[in-house]
Amino acid sequence: MPEVEFSINTETGEMQMHIEGIQGASCADVAKLAKELLGAPAREENTPEFYVRPQTQKLVQPKKK
Amino acid sequence: MSKYLTFTDVVFTNKALLLAALADLGYCHVEQGEGLSLYGYQGDERVERAEIVVRRRHIGAASNDLGFARTAQGYTPLISEYDQRTLHDGKFVARLRASYNERVVKEMQQRLRGTLRRETQGSIVKLKIRY
Repeated sequence: MPEVEFSINTETGEMQMHIEGIQGASCADVAKLAKELLGAPAREENTPEFYVRPQTQKLVQPKKK
Repeated sequence: MSKYLTFTDVVFTNKALLLAALADLGYCHVEQGEGLSLYGYQGDERVERAEIVVRRRHIGAASNDLGFARTAQGYTPLISEYDQRTLHDGKFVARLRASYNERVVKEMQQRLRGTLRRETQGSIVKLKIRY
């Protein structure tokens, strides 16, 4: 199950965000939403998961006779 | 007279969430408009202009108006040196940022249609959205 973790330091107001369990470009969609609401981050890093291409399987249905 | 400080590195991109964060800190009476004047504690008009203003009568007798100026990136705070030092024990901007960030997380939870878990560890608030 995809998770987005946030850590807010109430002393400084700074926040860190970590996206987990989302492979490939879907992760960028969540990051885009965060940037829309928070503005540009001071630092941004992609985890190895980001570079994993989601596996897709081609479904081939047998021809009906 | 206290001069105004502009926090260009502190930007609140979403107006509705900024207003909600201000309300969280107890500032529910907010004026909104274009190029609103800011007044000091003696009623003196300042040169700074803002689009969101909390008037000093809602802050404290010795306070100045608190403003947020709209920029291309979002809203940046305009706070007098005095209020920066005294509001919320000198932690007004930090607390507003923390409150705004928590509002952002709740907004993301709604948009992602997920569940939210919150826990506090000292001065750190941990939030987790599952969807």
